[in-house]
Amino acid sequence: MTTAVGRVGADGMAAAPARRVGKLHREGLAAYLFLSPALLFFCVFLILPFIFAIVLAFSDWGGFDLGTLKWAGFSNFGDVLSFDGTFVKPILVNTLLFAFGSVFLATFGSVLVAYCIDRLSFQGFWRVLYFLPVVATVVAIGNVWKMMYQPAGLINAVLNKLGVNSVGFLSDSSFALPSVTVVHAWASIGGAVLILTAGLKAIPEMYYEAAEVDGANSWHTFWSITLPLLRPALLFVLITQFIGGLQSFALIIVMTGDGGPVNATNVAAFEMYQRAFKFGAWGTASAMAMVLFVIILAITLLQLWIARRRGEETS
Amino acid sequence: MRIARCVRLAVVLGLLATSAACGGGSDSGSGGKVELTLLSHYSDGPSKDGLDKMIAEWNKDNPKIQVKAQVVKFDDLLTTMTVRQTGGRGADIVSAYGLWGGQLMKANVVAKVPDDIATKIKAEYSPAALGAVTTGDTLLGYPTELNTYVLFYNKSILAAAGIAKPPTTWAELADAAKKTVKRDAKGNIQVEGLSLIQDGDNKSVHPFLSLLDSAGGKFLGPDGTPQFDNDQGKAALKFEGDLAAAKASNTSISPTKQFRSGGVAMAIQAGWWIGSLKTQMKDKYASDVGVTAIPGPTPGSKGSLAYGFFMGVNQRSKHADEAWKFLTWLNEHKAEGSNVTETGKWLADQGLIPPRTADQAEYKKTLSDPNLAPIYDAATYAMAEPNQPGAYEAKTALHNAIMTVLADGKNPDDALAQAAKAVKPQ
Repeated sequence: MTTAVGRVGADGMAAAPARRVGKLHREGLAAYLFLSPALLFFCVFLILPFIFAIVLAFSDWGGFDLGTLKWAGFSNFGDVLSFDGTFVKPILVNTLLFAFGSVFLATFGSVLVAYCIDRLSFQGFWRVLYFLPVVATVVAIGNVWKMMYQPAGLINAVLNKLGVNSVGFLSDSSFALPSVTVVHAWASIGGAVLILTAGLKAIPEMYYEAAEVDGANSWHTFWSITLPLLRPALLFVLITQFIGGLQSFALIIVMTGDGGPVNATNVAAFEMYQRAFKFGAWGTASAMAMVLFVIILAITLLQLWIARRRGEETS
Repeated sequence: MRIARCVRLAVVLGLLATSAACGGGSDSGSGGKVELTLLSHYSDGPSKDGLDKMIAEWNKDNPKIQVKAQVVKFDDLLTTMTVRQTGGRGADIVSAYGLWGGQLMKANVVAKVPDDIATKIKAEYSPAALGAVTTGDTLLGYPTELNTYVLFYNKSILAAAGIAKPPTTWAELADAAKKTVKRDAKGNIQVEGLSLIQDGDNKSVHPFLSLLDSAGGKFLGPDGTPQFDNDQGKAALKFEGDLAAAKASNTSISPTKQFRSGGVAMAIQAGWWIGSLKTQMKDKYASDVGVTAIPGPTPGSKGSLAYGFFMGVNQRSKHADEAWKFLTWLNEHKAEGSNVTETGKWLADQGLIPPRTADQAEYKKTLSDPNLAPIYDAATYAMAEPNQPGAYEAKTALHNAIMTVLADGKNPDDALAQAAKAVKPQ
């Protein structure tokens, strides 16, 4: 749209307003025509289900037959947000811990890896190596780690060699969530590394040269040049990773089967799936989806606000 | 104004998208031929082969009513039913787990069984089979698979621990579990004494309910209210909790993976497990595997849980009469040169209990494997798994409570109270 306005501006005041409007209208129409397949897809697979989910959140519906849908008002939200239930605690708490934990580990790890790769030979090889978990299916990743976490698995074998007793990584409720979080973070590093590497490549070399002339060491250079200039890429990674973390549940199904032990790894998305597809409680499941939507929206807006406050132009 | 128009358009599109749900079942084929679809989880091995054979037989003799089998894995069955039914593409005949019965009934998925057929079913099927596929007073369809819970034990491991005969009371069971458990110097379990979990959904509930039944307790009342938060329930969960505290039972051990290699001394499991063990253990099955009733707290008491599957007709099927006609034939016709029904034989060949009383009696006369006897016997006294709306959710709440005791050492009384609070009768 800016280019269109720019071209109209070039015509100057001599162009007739009616002609200008007509041209704008035609260009707009053409743009919408090109956008229509994507918009249609977006409507059918995102907007409509979203509207349906809002309707369901205020209804009592057991699935199967739309004729049995009954208005329930806010009762689903009452059930979901009740402190007697399991959604607020432990499920929502687990979801946030899982998301924050995996974002922290994945972001910290990916910055470190991207920074190191940027200073190595055979950068393509290293990037491919770290990107492999992203290409692998969640089922494969989950099962491999599940085997490593077993009482007789690789990790416990190493611990036993070091004289430490076996740890029930997935069977002990104190360890289960951190164990799954680590795997999710590990699997997310590859994608983040790719984006951060692109961000690193975009930093002009002259800044580093100037820093070197000023006698800055590696740490100062990283802290004062790399990190601030990496902020747009970091922001993108943070937001996408966090949303992914809050919505993730496939890995948890693969590794723990039922969000166990004792709901220790049960997260909001998994609970929604269970409520809807297992128990036929579509209203409650949709109310949970709405609560999660609001939380994700709030956290994303907060992230954007913090980034803008620190001088980052994101629009 | 524009926003309002967009919203209106979205609503219209939404209605169009969901209007598909107004259809259902399959249409008549050409020339008045009816094609019925049957959705089940009999997706491989002998279960698929046996059902396919019977369907082929029917299709040959009934050119005007053709049946087409559609299969998915059990884990995907409920989801597939939900999605297809909502999209107006539900199968004419549904094969489902009894536990889902209440949900399916509440959502108008299963049609009422015609009175004449219901009368015959009630007269000819075992109480455990009927109980597992009846919601309230409503029979959901023909009972098919029937499973009961028993105690599997490794004879060699028990003998090595100086235990000559299988346990007959909780005290003996706990004693055997403590004597047979083995750990290495690092604390890793090499042999688990008694496994109190199974694979799949709500893995701790069925063994617990079997013990609860042996103590004379109940899971849910007819109205869906919790019945387990009482003395019997507390005693059963305390028994399990004490074994976990003594490290004779451990939830990180998978019995279906480790029993065959001698990693589990005893396990409370369903009867279908026999077929798997025979295949996995080959010659060692006969020498090592023993099966007995799940003992109760006092001498002579025993308990079990029975769960079942059923085949019913979809409420939305356009060919309900033809579907019932086929189901009646499927469940009633006799196998060639045999006194049992072909469906009974098909189920028994898979190590399952035929749900029909006459078939059970016939098979009990000539059991080739003595381990089958306790499994068949359990069908006469087992608690039928409740299946009213909300039962599945109640079961999950109970599972979480049991796991807090087995894995975290929580007080059994508190755990049961919390589970009872989470049960919401519908």
